[in-house]
Amino acid sequence: MRFAALIDGTVATAARQARALAGFLGEGLTGALSADLSGDLAGDLAGETFVFYWDERDKRRLAGLAPTRAVRLVRAAARRPEQVVESLAAAARGGEATLFLAAAGPTGTEIVTRLACRTGGAVLTEALSIEARPEHLVCRKNVYSNHLVGRFELSASPSCVTIDACWNDSRGPTVAEHRILSDTDVTGGIDAAPFEDLELADLPPAGDFAASRFLVVAGYGVGSRAGLRRVADAARRMGADLGVSRPVAMNAWAPMDRLIGVSGSRAAPAVCIVVGASGAPALHWGIERAGFIVAVNPDERAPIVRNSDAVLLDDGVAVVEELAEIIAGRRTPT
Amino acid sequence: MCFKVTPDFEELPEADWAAAATHGLQTRYVRRVLNCFDESALELALRLSDTLATRGQTVDLGALSIGGREVEPYLTTLVALGYERATRVAPEADAAGAGPADANADANADAAPTVADAGFELAPAAVAAIVAAHVRRTDHSDLLLLGCRSGPGDGGTVPFRVAEALGWPCLTQVTEIEPSGEGRLRVAAMVDDGLLRATLRLPCVLAVGNAVVSHLRVPTLRDRLARREKPIDVLEATALGIDVAAERMREGCALTGLETIDRGRRGAVIAGETPRAKARALFDSSLRDLIEAP
Repeated sequence: MRFAALIDGTVATAARQARALAGFLGEGLTGALSADLSGDLAGDLAGETFVFYWDERDKRRLAGLAPTRAVRLVRAAARRPEQVVESLAAAARGGEATLFLAAAGPTGTEIVTRLACRTGGAVLTEALSIEARPEHLVCRKNVYSNHLVGRFELSASPSCVTIDACWNDSRGPTVAEHRILSDTDVTGGIDAAPFEDLELADLPPAGDFAASRFLVVAGYGVGSRAGLRRVADAARRMGADLGVSRPVAMNAWAPMDRLIGVSGSRAAPAVCIVVGASGAPALHWGIERAGFIVAVNPDERAPIVRNSDAVLLDDGVAVVEELAEIIAGRRTPT
Repeated sequence: MCFKVTPDFEELPEADWAAAATHGLQTRYVRRVLNCFDESALELALRLSDTLATRGQTVDLGALSIGGREVEPYLTTLVALGYERATRVAPEADAAGAGPADANADANADAAPTVADAGFELAPAAVAAIVAAHVRRTDHSDLLLLGCRSGPGDGGTVPFRVAEALGWPCLTQVTEIEPSGEGRLRVAAMVDDGLLRATLRLPCVLAVGNAVVSHLRVPTLRDRLARREKPIDVLEATALGIDVAAERMREGCALTGLETIDRGRRGAVIAGETPRAKARALFDSSLRDLIEAP
């Protein structure tokens, strides 16, 4: 069996995609189809990377990001999934790969889904791991709003999979030398620009939280917009970043770009203080990589109580304000 | 508009999740809620309709949901809010009134580790086939709005599967929608590398993500009374030419087991008489070293 990793180099996230895929190939992919990062295409265990690029001047750099030694370069326009999908479908029909892997995100989801639809393959998104068995793949992924992990058998070929965003910050092995197997241009012939008048603005959130060392996450239990303001002020005095749970964002107490969890950002701070949030698994996904989690919640049955390192059973706003006073007091020169 | 009603998973006790791996998961007794992304999409559709109405244009809104009778109160509400057509598709015969998912739950109650009531819930190919067939055969919409993902699978593939079946473009993680001239919409969407604004030609599929518009408006009593006679169409999937079992077989992806998650933390309770005492105890016992570490 052969696998193909996909990197969309027409957008600015190519390096992150490559890191995630490298991490996954190193640790997430097991079994009969173990990742052969040397990319020996003569063997049965070979893998290759399709790297999509737009600017000719950029393609060598992008090829250098590939998590496999073997690389296929494909020139395609940005945000033209039709071009990407059709070129991959041709590769799938030619038997060049039976497993296609893309990084997490809307682009990856669109590509693998459309690819599976066109080739009669199977699709699964946000895989935590894949075990290759002779007759099928076994993929694990979070289900039921992250309450459980489901095991799925993928029996159709090709299997088209995105990997979970938990791999985004992984540090997989790098490949020293790449071998370019092909360089094709698919920009002609397909007139399928679905969008016009594109404008792209930077999104602040993921970067902010990715760098957070100290994070306070406020939940609906802070009670009101005013309660959130008090927590935000305390977080600022402590030198912490502020994230919020989905109910807080949906009530417009805080902007959506502060949202932590499955539908927002994922952070890995040294310390995370969760104030007035029940700690539902969808939120917990966003903070589970924190070094130390403190739960402040009056409800001892709240899930966050079982899923934290330290618990303060009390009013969240009051406690976090006291903490801010203690921490800010230590930082103020006397 | 296509929406899904799901069990409120946050209402299930921890013991049920812990037992799910060996005894399956039973959600029949849990209250149903509107999938949050679908709720945003339903409201965005109404706002789009409102905006076009101020320009003298009319929008024919239709709502579709796949499931048992538990979805009908939501359809009734949408009719009261101005949706002209409301359709429920039962993936399998449900004349007795139980939802198909619940019927599966009963059938699998003693089966080992499994899908339990996930039954139809984890069948995105079948869902997409039904939605696409509905649009093609009976609805004839040129814009399909739905949430970007929903439980229990949270795969986010249905919008793209429908788009493939219809041959339409699709944009996911949409947060804003505005009219932009004849047959065009101006849309904002969160993409991998930022916030994209783009103009799309109809027909297209838009999958709504973390939109600021997150709550569906509430109909007035007058609205409800004025539209109470409007019927909800109920179809079986077979009437749309969809064989759910065959679609599931074709999917090539089947749930074979569930695992519980050990999050690896055991909360130690920090004691104290007052919030200040607890904060001080926390700081002295662990926080000082952690936040003052280089």
